[in-house]
Amino acid sequence: MRARLLDITILLVSTLSGLLALLYPFFLPALAGQAAPGRMRLGEMPGLMTALVGLCLLVLLAEAQGQGMQTKLVALLGVLVAINSVLRFVETALPGPGGFTPVFFLIILTGYVFGGRVGFLMGALTMLVSALVTGGVGPWLPAQMFTAGWVGLSTPLARQLTKAAAPALGRHAEIATLAVFSVGWGFLYGALMNLWEWPFIIGPEAQSWSAGLGFWPTLQRYAVFYLATSLAWDLAAALGNLLLVLAFGAPVLRALRRFRQRFTFVYQAVAN
Amino acid sequence: MHPWAWGAWLAGALVALSVTRNPLYLLLIWLCLLLVAQAWRTAGPGDASAAAGRLRPISPFKFALLVIGLAALFNAFTSHVGQTRLFTIPGRLPLFSGPVTLEGVVYGAINGLALAGMFAAFALLNQVLPVQSLVRMIPRTYYPVAVIASIAVTYVPTTLRQFQQVREAQAVRGHRLRGLRDWLPLLVPLLVSGLEHALQLAEAMTARGFASQPTQPGTARRAWLSPRLAILPGMLLLMGGWLLDLTGYGGPLGGVLAAGGAALVLGGLWAMGRSMPRSSYRRWRWSAWDSLACFGVLLVLAAYLQPAAQDGLWYSPYPALALPPFNPWLGVATLGLLAPAILTFLPWLRQADPV
Repeated sequence: MRARLLDITILLVSTLSGLLALLYPFFLPALAGQAAPGRMRLGEMPGLMTALVGLCLLVLLAEAQGQGMQTKLVALLGVLVAINSVLRFVETALPGPGGFTPVFFLIILTGYVFGGRVGFLMGALTMLVSALVTGGVGPWLPAQMFTAGWVGLSTPLARQLTKAAAPALGRHAEIATLAVFSVGWGFLYGALMNLWEWPFIIGPEAQSWSAGLGFWPTLQRYAVFYLATSLAWDLAAALGNLLLVLAFGAPVLRALRRFRQRFTFVYQAVAN
Repeated sequence: MHPWAWGAWLAGALVALSVTRNPLYLLLIWLCLLLVAQAWRTAGPGDASAAAGRLRPISPFKFALLVIGLAALFNAFTSHVGQTRLFTIPGRLPLFSGPVTLEGVVYGAINGLALAGMFAAFALLNQVLPVQSLVRMIPRTYYPVAVIASIAVTYVPTTLRQFQQVREAQAVRGHRLRGLRDWLPLLVPLLVSGLEHALQLAEAMTARGFASQPTQPGTARRAWLSPRLAILPGMLLLMGGWLLDLTGYGGPLGGVLAAGGAALVLGGLWAMGRSMPRSSYRRWRWSAWDSLACFGVLLVLAAYLQPAAQDGLWYSPYPALALPPFNPWLGVATLGLLAPAILTFLPWLRQADPV
């Protein structure tokens, strides 16, 4: 019980810390207004944010893998990550419209069926392995691993939403919830990935991060930046996720559930 | 060359690319990258094994050219500052209307050059190191993650073959890809056969003793639990210290707390790794080649990070274009990045190479 509590606390603290570090461009100006003169070292902030979020990813990854993962889970994740990496390779070789990518479909469904921990590993490792096999390892990789991991980690929330929507939508509640969830992540993934690079980008003043601005002007600039550079891209990603869930969601969920039952047996030593 | 020596070389290239916006030094770094890529393509002993099992959707250098071009165009059309006017976009188009200047093109291209240089350095690392070496560089703490990554990397070609087989089998039955729903008869068999493989793999791994219970479960549990008791306060200290540092209250206390927290977290992760058993078939050996490559990197870092060099490393084409400054000593130090290329021509060092 205490170990479980420690698990949850570390997961929560590292997730919230990562989120806080990621959102620093918005609350930094408010804090800067209260700061003692000469103490703020604003130029160091983007580098510090990268280091902090990288550290949170390391902690989350160590926590999600747990102590001595079961063999069946290791094999299951290895094969699912391979399938998803192939989908990502197909997407890289034959790019779809805008930000359309098939990888989040399987991350969301795997997390939904097998739980948030497996979902996190599925998201983070899909990005890692697909980068390894396509030669896409780069400074963007920790950001992709962390954000895709969050997609999988958040999927247990979709189960709660399904329960809430079940009385109104009946047997369609599950697919409807997953569709809404995947559309939401289509936009949110893009918005979060932007935050990694936005403070570093030097562009038009109305779209660029500036250290001395207040919360609302910063939000306004980010909104302009997002509308100008990302909205159309993320719209294609969200619509792609929606189509994939509507077209393939039910049969893939059935297949994953069937195998979840087959993966839950336990090996026991025969007593002599 | 030792994978960690390549890691050091990559770090040196990234630092140099990050701290300068002077196009002369950027071009010199680019020249080093191209020469190292060329030398390792023709003479690199690790290249053949690195290429095996690696899929290449796009050439990294073509991609870099694309990035430089796009960055130059984007900045030229959205930033209307500079004295050398090329043409003017008429009307009231938000962001785009206004003069397009040569300085805008150059500024965008310089940023693109730095960004594309980082892409190219990573692409080079991907080219010279086999996937297995990259997986093996994952720290011991993440042993299960490394095992999953190894399985996935091994299964990617199998999955591609399987996809082809399913596609052929469905085509024989008259299946054609016309719309999105037509992908279902391909996707579900691929998923199901992959999961069947996973079951067989799990049984084979269990039969070989993977993840078997330790002889003293209590000891293993303690070895796992105690480092995590350090990670939690470490995270709290780190974030608290960072927030204190942001607000400027408490003087240097914020920085001290954050550094202490980071040390606790990293120490906890290291201690977790100690409870993970790991063995390797063939050990990597550190050779004179690797030491010389690291010496080249140290030369670059010392030159680019010295306070006296900072003014010359920065360059802005605004308000009017001018020739960037150039320090020959800094230029010579940049050539330290060439170490991996030069070393491919020294046969007595190549013989000592373990890769």
